[in-house]
Amino acid sequence: MSLLAVFAAASLTAVFPGIDRAPRFQFGGSDQLAFQIRQGAPADVFASASPKYVQQLHARGLCSKPKVFATNTLVLIVPRANPAHIRSVYDLRRRGIKLVVGAPGVPIGDYTRTLLTRLHLRSALSNVVSDETDVKLVVAKVALGEADAGFVYRTDVKPAGKRVIQFELPVRAQPTVKYELCVPTKRKHPQLAARFVREVLSKRGRAALKAAGFGLP
Amino acid sequence: MRAAFAVIAALALAFLALPVVAIFLRVSPATLVRELGDPVARDALVVSLRTSALAQLLVVVLGTPTAYLLATRRFRGRSMALTLVELPLVLPPAVAGIGLLAAFGRSGLLSTSLAFTQSAVVLAVAFVAAPFYVRTAVAAFEGVDAALVDAARTLGARPWRVFARIALPLAASGLGAGLALSFARGLGEFGATIMFAGSLQRVTQTLPLAIYAEFAQSFDVALAIGALLVAFSFTLLLAVKWLRSDWISPSRFAPSVSG
Repeated sequence: MSLLAVFAAASLTAVFPGIDRAPRFQFGGSDQLAFQIRQGAPADVFASASPKYVQQLHARGLCSKPKVFATNTLVLIVPRANPAHIRSVYDLRRRGIKLVVGAPGVPIGDYTRTLLTRLHLRSALSNVVSDETDVKLVVAKVALGEADAGFVYRTDVKPAGKRVIQFELPVRAQPTVKYELCVPTKRKHPQLAARFVREVLSKRGRAALKAAGFGLP
Repeated sequence: MRAAFAVIAALALAFLALPVVAIFLRVSPATLVRELGDPVARDALVVSLRTSALAQLLVVVLGTPTAYLLATRRFRGRSMALTLVELPLVLPPAVAGIGLLAAFGRSGLLSTSLAFTQSAVVLAVAFVAAPFYVRTAVAAFEGVDAALVDAARTLGARPWRVFARIALPLAASGLGAGLALSFARGLGEFGATIMFAGSLQRVTQTLPLAIYAEFAQSFDVALAIGALLVAFSFTLLLAVKWLRSDWISPSRFAPSVSG
């Protein structure tokens, strides 16, 4: 059992243990993980789905200089049965559709709002029935068939298996989704942490990220 | 020995009081009051009060006859029914959440479209809070002096009249205590609500859900909502104490006939 604690964005749940299964992982919304680290949570590595949170920690001297290690894009998912008969993202304007998104401040929530703004689809936000605190909860509510549609990362679709169908979104509207990691300061195992970071950035780590559907910087 | 016990008791009380006190000491009272004006906090208060009121109405309307039956009749399966009533007390809220989804979800047993609506919040709150009311109500009805009920019957009162004119007034303060407990538990409902009803400001985001949504974004707003819930809970518990003392002490309504 490694002594290393890795705090990582929920969207990394399926890929990080494949790169190194030794650390103790805590997956969640990047904003909540950053908050916990600010409160002194024992994280040896922090991998965020948005530069915002690692950069904030770095600016406060709470972690090392962040490194970009992956990129991602957004897709729209609907339950396999597609109860609302959605054929494109523009159907989300229809009244009565149950749309689930990330909450504002959570990376997937902020990216979703950027995307909808660029598509001139802010009106779809009036169909939101729940603001979730991390992307996996959005996936779960769509995969269960309780929600009609949700915005998630491309890399979330494969783990959801046959329960969801994905729709591509216009490239011009895609927000820049960058994953950055850093090593929180004043921890006991900086060498182990640095080794984990190297593993993620290594050829093998990049291959694993690519296989999971992430883009590489 | 007495001194040792006193020290231990003081430690235990300090441990229980500290987190509650910390909520009020972390920021100034002025900040707490100001942050309660935040739209997230205000909307959550409205959602919480509305859903709690409806849930408690449901609990009282369905729970009172149930409790009366359980208190006054002996039938096969009674202890099973009592256990069922108490089950949500010990059930983890997350289990209540998936249970409600499995029962009322769109792909659930009854396949309703309740998920993500305010009705879903009402159901979640009623599910976890009802046992507090029903249990207390059963005890209150059982505490009604049987001699008075018998006297009423002998004098020709029909069962409905016995319930409405004898049992209900005599059990009233017990029922009130149960309702206050149920209300307090319902206000704090979190796990079942976030799973079954989701979290959306102005619609399904209750006070506890707002704390969860805000703690990483705006800790002061989360603290202010926390302080509000402490105040609510404290007031409700005081009400329970007051109603209970009224109910347990020799009642002013029911001088015992036999005693």
